[in-house]
Amino acid sequence: MSIILDISKVDMVFPTPKGDFTALKGVDLQIKKGEFISLIGHSGCGKSTVLNIVACLHRATLGGVLLNNKEVTEPGPERAVVFQNHSLLPWLTAYQNIELAVKQVFKNKMSPAEMKEWIEHNLRLVHMDHAKDKRPDEISGGMKQRIGIARALAMKPEVLLMDEPFGALDALTRAHMQDSLMEIQQKLNNTVIMITHDVDEAVLLSDRIVMMTNGPAATIGEILDVNLPHPRNRLALAEDVEYNRLRSAVLTFLYEKQRKVEVIPTAESTKTTEKAGIKQNTSSVA
Amino acid sequence: MKTTLKNECKKLCRTVIAGLCISGSLLTSSLQAAELGYPEKEELKFGFIKLTDMAPIAIAYEKGFFEDEGLYVTIESQANWKVLLDGVIDGRLDGAHMLAGQPIAATIGYGTKAEIITPFSMDLNGNAITVSNEIWKQMKVNIPKQADGRPVHPIKADALKPVVEKYLDEGKPFNMGMVFPVSTHNYELRYWLAAGDIHPGFYAPHKGDTSGKIDAQVLLSVTPPPQMPATMEAGTIYGYCVGEPWNQQAVFKGIGVPVVTDYEIWKNNPEKVFGITKAFAEKYPNTTIRLTRALIRAAKWLDDNNNANRPEAVKILSQSNYVGADYDVIANSMTGTFEYEKGDVRSVPDFNVFFRYNATYPYYSDAIWYLTQMRRWGQISDDMPDSWYKAIAAKVYRPDIYMAAAQSLVDDKILSKSDFSDLVGEDGFRAPQKHFIDNIVYDGTEPNAYINKFKIGLKAGEKL
Amino acid sequence: MTAVISKKALGIAPMSNNKMIMSFISEKVQALILPMAGIFCFMLLWSLTASSIDTSLGKFPGPHAVATQVVNLIDEHNAERDKADVFYIRQDERNKVRMAKDPSYQPKVRIYTGKETFLDQILTSLVTVISGFLVAAVIAIPLGIAIGLSKTLNTAINPIIQIFKPVSPLAWLPIVTMVVSALYVSPDPMFAKSFITSLITVTLCSLWPMVINTSFGVVSMNQDWVNVSKVLSLPKHVHIQKIVLPASIPAIFTGMRMSLGIAWMVLIAAEMLSQSPGLGKFVWDEFQNGSSQSLSRIMTAVLTIGLIGYLLDRTMLQLQRILSWDKSSAQL
Repeated sequence: MSIILDISKVDMVFPTPKGDFTALKGVDLQIKKGEFISLIGHSGCGKSTVLNIVACLHRATLGGVLLNNKEVTEPGPERAVVFQNHSLLPWLTAYQNIELAVKQVFKNKMSPAEMKEWIEHNLRLVHMDHAKDKRPDEISGGMKQRIGIARALAMKPEVLLMDEPFGALDALTRAHMQDSLMEIQQKLNNTVIMITHDVDEAVLLSDRIVMMTNGPAATIGEILDVNLPHPRNRLALAEDVEYNRLRSAVLTFLYEKQRKVEVIPTAESTKTTEKAGIKQNTSSVA
Repeated sequence: MKTTLKNECKKLCRTVIAGLCISGSLLTSSLQAAELGYPEKEELKFGFIKLTDMAPIAIAYEKGFFEDEGLYVTIESQANWKVLLDGVIDGRLDGAHMLAGQPIAATIGYGTKAEIITPFSMDLNGNAITVSNEIWKQMKVNIPKQADGRPVHPIKADALKPVVEKYLDEGKPFNMGMVFPVSTHNYELRYWLAAGDIHPGFYAPHKGDTSGKIDAQVLLSVTPPPQMPATMEAGTIYGYCVGEPWNQQAVFKGIGVPVVTDYEIWKNNPEKVFGITKAFAEKYPNTTIRLTRALIRAAKWLDDNNNANRPEAVKILSQSNYVGADYDVIANSMTGTFEYEKGDVRSVPDFNVFFRYNATYPYYSDAIWYLTQMRRWGQISDDMPDSWYKAIAAKVYRPDIYMAAAQSLVDDKILSKSDFSDLVGEDGFRAPQKHFIDNIVYDGTEPNAYINKFKIGLKAGEKL
Repeated sequence: MTAVISKKALGIAPMSNNKMIMSFISEKVQALILPMAGIFCFMLLWSLTASSIDTSLGKFPGPHAVATQVVNLIDEHNAERDKADVFYIRQDERNKVRMAKDPSYQPKVRIYTGKETFLDQILTSLVTVISGFLVAAVIAIPLGIAIGLSKTLNTAINPIIQIFKPVSPLAWLPIVTMVVSALYVSPDPMFAKSFITSLITVTLCSLWPMVINTSFGVVSMNQDWVNVSKVLSLPKHVHIQKIVLPASIPAIFTGMRMSLGIAWMVLIAAEMLSQSPGLGKFVWDEFQNGSSQSLSRIMTAVLTIGLIGYLLDRTMLQLQRILSWDKSSAQL
């Protein structure tokens, strides 16, 4: 399959009052059409920066991003983003949030009736058609994220960028959402880059797992191919040898090769650390 | 500069003479004037200050005299004399109840420069000087008593002099209030003080000094009339000269004692005038005559049948949109009496005169008296010839408009010829007036000679 | 889900019916009876202290005196309306007489020239404050958004705002008055000069809190929403209309409520100072009148001013509740 997105030798340097801070160094990654990529790494390693560079919410200091062999220079709906905090506009209903995107992207390409059908189609896709007239503060966190995903999908993006989409959700909801995402991916076969902290999530959803080294000057450490057959079932996989091998490969990378200095995780405390990390990350993103 | 002034004077003198001839010829030959046309401007706004002498305006409105002339008038109280004058100058107001000195000062450019004229003099007398209880206590011992124990009137400033001197010895400034630098009250208060050998201070506008406190023993400052009692109660001033009802208010509130009325300082002195801009009079001649007609009728109504209408007038004035003070307070001075010290009510039938004694006719000699006082106290810095005084008076005071209005009232049989009988052949100069508190005689035809008669004050040839 | 709820409701209802009524009553007590008690205590204190304060205009007005004046003022208003009716009849007759004499005359109906009653003054002040406030909003909200969006503009304008913000609009009043009389010249003006002057004064004082709050609302807008807009490549005007404006609505309302409160206070003072028609003039006139009724009338006006100020704020609050998505910011 052809390369749709080429992240080419990206460096990212942030100027700070104390001098320049090199966040990323030589990040180089090629993604094929229809591929599902997970970016995993410790918090602060620059995963979100990579995503933001692809979305063009940040500009790389060196190197660049090619989409279909054309360099991207500004944000656009062809690289739709699902934000960690759903980022729904609180003054619009679920329907209107998606409508804002659809109207902008398909301004002269769809009739109003087609737009309406398309919005409702996407709402159905994320099983949210029953709540289309609800405002974000009237629905749960998981529901909000479903709308966020529906909004991104409604833009018919070439690449779907997901920044820890389920990070703020509780474990049960997160599992539901992962299943939904797999179901959607099964239908649409989108090209996806997803940032995650969750090893199980990465293995369950991805075709490739890109593991990043710790910052400063973070870069890609290892890339792990996940050759589990689709559709995947989380219960069946729990017993699967290959699944567990992949899982421990990621864990090994994270907790031995790229161990964070401050924490020495035991099996039990892994989860809490992750959660704490997520929280930390959340606040740093916001 | 000098020649232009001279030319100006000459031109004005001619106007005066022409004016005199016209006014003299009026009333003698009725039925000649063409019928008065409709007013050019019908919706008018007049300003006033809350004083009983605004009565002709209120009465002309309430009795429908304005409407009879086809004028739809809105009457609006003003915060102070400055705001009122500015209102007339900038056109926010079409006309206003003014201090006699205001149109004169505006015309000669003392303060705001603007050409303002008056076709109608609003009243005679109506002011008084009030001092605080504290000052009264100290003054009273210096005043001779009548058989019944009450003070002999008029009370002269001689009684105040020891009090002022005592304050000055103690290093305390003696402050008194008046309502405006060119107000009748300023000149009356100064006249009364100077007659009692107390120096009220000079102005020197050519040096930029318009505070009027040079050489002063008593420091005079401006306070809007309605705030006088409150200002005295607060202790900022020890006394003031103001129109009614603000002297009677002090008696009612028990915060001060009126010591002398302006009737006693100068019997039947001219007080307020009705001021409009010259431009207004020229642009709207019929309106000008018609509003003058309405005001003459109102003044006549106020004095009719020996003040018989006064109680009704007081009732109107006590409405909150006019003077607004209590009926009793206004009635005290408007109905022929005046209360001095609490309980000392004396009959002053002419305290407020609106029509009698040709009160409404704008005499040139009245204007000249104000000019002499402006000169006396330095508001006019330089010597001016007698002809200048007359020329300015003729520019500001417009008996021609008054007489045209009077004539048409007679023609329309609204008023009778006898109402104006004294004015037949009037030349605009009152006969030499004698009834001043210091017995100095005023002859309007000789202003410079008059100025030289005063002990305190600038004399001909003097400049600060 | 539904099953759970109904079970809950069934199980609890009989037992807690009383409790619910009790808590309902106690809520009512707090919302209604406590303020009533407060007002009652205030009245009591007021009438007690009032009778012991003697001024040169008589006793300080107590609640009873104020109540009497309310009746008086309404009576005066009605009396004035009757006078107005007669005025119109008279005017009509005069016009007819003139038409008979002069057929070319175009009769004109002039509005009543009599005095403005207390109720008229209330209306004048209300119209003035709302107009001035709206003018301020029309200027301040776009300006605030522009400042919030552009750092350059913010840096350029901020010092000006900071200098003018603490200036009492009353200090502007003389300048405004002079400028209005110089520039607003028309033979048949649509609005009175005094109205324009008061309006500009109100605008001047409402402007700054609205500009500052609006720009603050824009600056502190959730960055995610800006990113959403960027990803959608929304054009500038759509970005402002669909994202920036709604996002800053809560801050704009905070600024507006603040402004309206200040504007109302300033207007009354400005009316007192410049003698422009309105409640302020009413208060000042009564103070100058110095009649035995003046104090109680002023007290009536003071309470009216307070009540109207309160109602204005409540109206803004209701408006905010209707218009703003952020219900949590629309609290008292």
